[in-house]
Amino acid sequence: MNSETIKNLVKDWRVALVLLLVVGSLVGIYLAPPSPERGLEGNLQFGLDLEGGSWLQMEFQSVVVAFSTDGSVGDLMDDLRTDLETEVIRIDENHLEIRKSVTRADLEPIFAQSGASIVTYQKGVSPFTADEVKRILNEKVNALGMQDARINLLTPTGSEFPQYVRIELAGVDMATAQDIVGQQGLFEIRVQTTGNETEHVLYGDQITSVGVPQKDYDGRWGVGFSFTETGAEAFREAAIESGAVDNPDAHNLVMILDNETVYSAPLSGELAGQLRSGPVRSLSASTGTGDAGLTDAMTLQIHLRAGALPVKVDIVGSGSVPAALGEQFKTTVALAGLLALLAVAVVVYYRYREPSIVIPMVAINLAEIIILLGIARFIIQLDLATIAGLIAVVGTGIDQLVIITDEVLHEGRVPSPNLYMKRYGRALGIIAIAAATVFIAMLPLALMDLSTLRGFAIITILGVLIGILVTRPAYGKIIMAILSK
Amino acid sequence: MEIARYDVNKYSPRQMVALPLVLLLLAGMLLGYTTLATGLPLTPGIDFAGGTAVTVFTSDSREAVEATFAGYPLLSVGEGIGDGKYIQFGPMDDAQYQSLVTLINEKYPDAKIDQIGETFGKTLQSQAFLALIFSFIGMAVVVMIAFRNFVPAGAVVLSAFADIVITAGIMQIIGIPLSLGTTAALLMLIGYSVDSDILLTTRLLKRKGKLEEKLSGAFRTGIIMTTTTLAAIAAMWVVATAGQIQIIAEIASVLIIGLFVDMMNTWMLNAGILKEYVLRGNKK
Repeated sequence: MNSETIKNLVKDWRVALVLLLVVGSLVGIYLAPPSPERGLEGNLQFGLDLEGGSWLQMEFQSVVVAFSTDGSVGDLMDDLRTDLETEVIRIDENHLEIRKSVTRADLEPIFAQSGASIVTYQKGVSPFTADEVKRILNEKVNALGMQDARINLLTPTGSEFPQYVRIELAGVDMATAQDIVGQQGLFEIRVQTTGNETEHVLYGDQITSVGVPQKDYDGRWGVGFSFTETGAEAFREAAIESGAVDNPDAHNLVMILDNETVYSAPLSGELAGQLRSGPVRSLSASTGTGDAGLTDAMTLQIHLRAGALPVKVDIVGSGSVPAALGEQFKTTVALAGLLALLAVAVVVYYRYREPSIVIPMVAINLAEIIILLGIARFIIQLDLATIAGLIAVVGTGIDQLVIITDEVLHEGRVPSPNLYMKRYGRALGIIAIAAATVFIAMLPLALMDLSTLRGFAIITILGVLIGILVTRPAYGKIIMAILSK
Repeated sequence: MEIARYDVNKYSPRQMVALPLVLLLLAGMLLGYTTLATGLPLTPGIDFAGGTAVTVFTSDSREAVEATFAGYPLLSVGEGIGDGKYIQFGPMDDAQYQSLVTLINEKYPDAKIDQIGETFGKTLQSQAFLALIFSFIGMAVVVMIAFRNFVPAGAVVLSAFADIVITAGIMQIIGIPLSLGTTAALLMLIGYSVDSDILLTTRLLKRKGKLEEKLSGAFRTGIIMTTTTLAAIAAMWVVATAGQIQIIAEIASVLIIGLFVDMMNTWMLNAGILKEYVLRGNKK
């Protein structure tokens, strides 16, 4: 090929577009913004399994029920609250959010008793509650000093309400992740009445300001906090009525975080005295000595500050990848990609034995990968499955180039541009149908919230689209220029 | 390449479709039997049944690993090339899981751990099933619209269906579980498998010329297409298996099986039906 042909080729809009996109992608990956410290990776975003970190998937312990009733909605909600001992929220005209994991069969008698009936029953929470959860989780994650956390609400296909929340925390081990975001974070103060019985005093929502963990003179870590006015009043009443003020030793003050006792000890004499004369606004929860005490104090502080999630959550899936292993996977998949490209090159060389066909084929394939990565940099993180998709695109991409080449080469060399265009059009027809089927086949996976394989599906679909819209037309042009010489 | 020299015109349509149809029937019976026995056509993996998967690089022998985790519902210890191990556990309660994680962190601090709850696995299962159904229907609709002719389009859809069923049957026999990764591979197969079918159909129905020549021309192109894809996927399989990347290795192995099955279905089942269709059309 001489320089004249190359010049003409580059002037063709199809070829120019591919070159432009390749350059644009490289700029996007390496120069905008520049990231020399990340080396070859540039600005590509990697998923958890390549970056290292932890993920948690939690299910909301809540259901949303559409109902119909002739009676009063207020009575129905009251009945539900007392029977189920849980919060019930009215979302709109005919939907209730019941913040407890309860089956439809268990709900039906309660509805019937209130003269109402269940129209639909779905697990999950209202979008409003879901956003609230997301906000609180964000706050907790930020308190950990996390720069890279992803929190996604997930709605199963076929449902209207978010049922799960998935959190990915880069660079955090699983134990920490579970302590901070894997539970509701409900703080409660109780007081011992008689024997081992305790009585509810107040929840964490009666706490207004929270201090940082501090060590007292005994070396015990603790978190100071202040009550609201009503909270302080309730605390005083409970302390007096239970007898804790008069006989502190028989009436421990108990602080609980998510059903786990953080602190249980008698009131100090000093505090008892203060309570006798009036409400006390500030208190401290001590969590113990040493590093364990400090960690517990940090956790408690985060939960007190951000507050409890409006609904209970259950961990349904979790995982973690050490950063070193992620790094190793990265090298492995890069190798897999290169080998795949090489293998494809060898096979097409074996078939055509003509460098002027094989080189453009492989070059176009490579261009496709670069453009895909360039787009991926903005929209998805590359995880292991996505890279499998990328390599699969190498396979399908070459397929379609083979279809074009064979169609055009049919019965020897290309005779006239007219006939060439006809054959080329036929090849594109085949490719378009094939592309449409891949697109349709992968679409469900790309749209489904729950699959961890969205990346795989999205990259496959993108690959097909870029192929049919950008790189195939350019290849057709290049191969014609080469063959017509 | 031996296979490229195979004479695709050697057999009559009846002979061509016999083998794929028999295999389809056998695979269908196997999957049907498994469904009756277990409620699912394929043995579910961790993703769908719930459980814990651990990837670890250690020089400990398989027996040592088994001994370490003897107190837990250990399902299998898979070994890759080098020191990679892939350890699977069945579902367990929270307390046992916490103690397992502590044990792993202590013994193998560099392990990758993934855990899926049992009920959540069921949800994933039904979602994956939905995806498979939607994909297949979508593919069938696209093919029908593209060819607007019942017999050729039906042949493509039948051959894609046979691809999936026979591949699934082989998965069950050699013990590849149904997981998110293998479901994705089956979906991908729906897309992959039709391109050689479409090439075949277009060449046979839309080009002028002798049937035999068109068929062997399409065969040459089709085989090279499938071989290039196989080459890329095989490279991916080798590296992922050696590097103990379970999800990629699973996707790749299903695609490899599927591509071989697809070669048979395209050039025997689909080609046989089309050939018969074209021959009959000519007699009229």
